[in-house]
Amino acid sequence: MKIRLYIISMLTLTFLAASAYAETLKVITKENAIREECRFFSPVRIKVYYNDTVEAVSKEGDWFKVKYKGIKGCIHKSAVEEKTFRLTGLLGSQSKTASEDEVSLAGKGFNPQVENSYKDRHPELDFRVVDSIGEYRISEESLRNFIKNGELNLP
Amino acid sequence: MKRLILLIFIIAITLGCKTLERAGISENLIATTFGAASKAIRPISEEEEYYIGRAVAARLLSSYTLSKDRMITDYINLVGNSVAFHSDKPYAYNGYHFAVLNANEVNAFACPGGIIFLTKGMINAVRNEDELAAVLAHEIAHINHRDGISSIQKARWTEALTIIGSAAAREYGSKDLSKLVNLFEGSIDDIVKTLVVNGYGQSQEYDADSAALEYLVRAGYNPGALKDFMERLIIKGIESEGGLFKTHPATADRLNEIRDKISFEKVPSSSVQLRAKRFSENMH
Repeated sequence: MKIRLYIISMLTLTFLAASAYAETLKVITKENAIREECRFFSPVRIKVYYNDTVEAVSKEGDWFKVKYKGIKGCIHKSAVEEKTFRLTGLLGSQSKTASEDEVSLAGKGFNPQVENSYKDRHPELDFRVVDSIGEYRISEESLRNFIKNGELNLP
Repeated sequence: MKRLILLIFIIAITLGCKTLERAGISENLIATTFGAASKAIRPISEEEEYYIGRAVAARLLSSYTLSKDRMITDYINLVGNSVAFHSDKPYAYNGYHFAVLNANEVNAFACPGGIIFLTKGMINAVRNEDELAAVLAHEIAHINHRDGISSIQKARWTEALTIIGSAAAREYGSKDLSKLVNLFEGSIDDIVKTLVVNGYGQSQEYDADSAALEYLVRAGYNPGALKDFMERLIIKGIESEGGLFKTHPATADRLNEIRDKISFEKVPSSSVQLRAKRFSENMH
C-alpha cells in the first residue's frame, strides 16, 4: 500500500513539475521580428518590440521557436533574454516571475529622461546627427544581394 | 506520513531545480531569491547601453564632423552588417550603424550599443573590401565584448543602481535625476577617455582581433586581410602618426598574436578580387 502511494506521488509530482514550466522570453532590442523560418532574412511574420514577451516553444541552434499573439515563428537568441519564466502550481497559485526585479526596473536606469537632462546640460552636443545615424537603414534585400554578389556567406 | 510529505517536498525541489537548470536560468532565480542584493549587481541593460552609446557618439561628434558621402556610408554599412550578422551578437539594441568621420588620422571608434565610426584616414588606409571588413570586424568585436561599457568605473554604476532601485516610478524626481545625470555623464567621460586617450587594455585588443578573425571566416572574408592591413601599416610607418596607434598596443605585437590564429582555409582569390573591384567603385 505504502509503495503504491509512493509511486503515485512521484508520478504526480513529475507531471506537475513538467507542466509547471513554461519559458517566456523578453525582447531586448528596440525592434525585431518573428520569422517564418529559423534563419536570417526569412520572411517576417510579426514585428516585436523592446520588452515584449514571447513564449518559447523550443530551441533550434541559435534560434528560438516561439509563439506571440497566437503566431508561431522563430526569433534569434541575441534578440531576447531568457530570464523571464513562470512557475505555477507547485510553487503557488499565482504566477511568479523570477525576474521581477528586472520587470520593475524596465525603463528605469539610463533612459530617455536621463538623456534629455544630459542634452539640456550640454546644448553644444548635436544629438540630431546621432539620430540620423541611428535612423539610417539598409534593407534586408539589399544586404542579402550584397552578400551574394560579393560571394560571401549568408548568415 | 511525515516521511511521505518530506519525500514529496524533496522531489518537488529537485524537479524544480532540474527544470530551471535545463533552461539555464537557475543562476538568475538564485540571484532573485536572495533579493535586493541582486539589484546592486545587475549589469547595464541593452537599452541603457544604447543611451550611453548615443551620448558617446555625440561627444565624439563634437570633435569630428560627419561625412555626408552617401555612397561610402551605404557601402560601409553593407560591409559592416555583412560581418555583424556573423558576430556573436547579430542583433544590437538598435542595430549596427557605421559612419565616416572627416579626419585624416587613421582611426576607428566603437560606441557602446552599435554605432561605429571610421575616419576618412582609415578608409584611405585600407586597400580592399576584405581589409575594410577586417577593421570593422575588430570594432564589432569590441561592441560584442562590451569593452566600452567595461571601462565605466564600477563605483558609478553601483551608485546609479542605488538611485534606480530607490526611485518608485520610472520618472525620476529632480534630485534623483540630477544625481543620475551626473553618473551618466561620468560614465560617458570614462568611455570617451578610453576611446580617445587611454585605449582598451591589451588583452581586450587581442581578444577583439581573435574574435574579428572568427567573424571574417564565418562571413566568407579573407581573415588574412587583418594581417595584411597590419603589416602594411608597419611598413608604411603609419603607426607613428597617432590616431588609432596612440590607443592600441603596438601593431607588431598584435600581428604576432594573430599570426597563428589565422585559418588556412583558402578564400578564393577570385572572390577577393571581385570584392576589391566593388571597393574601388564605391570608394571613388
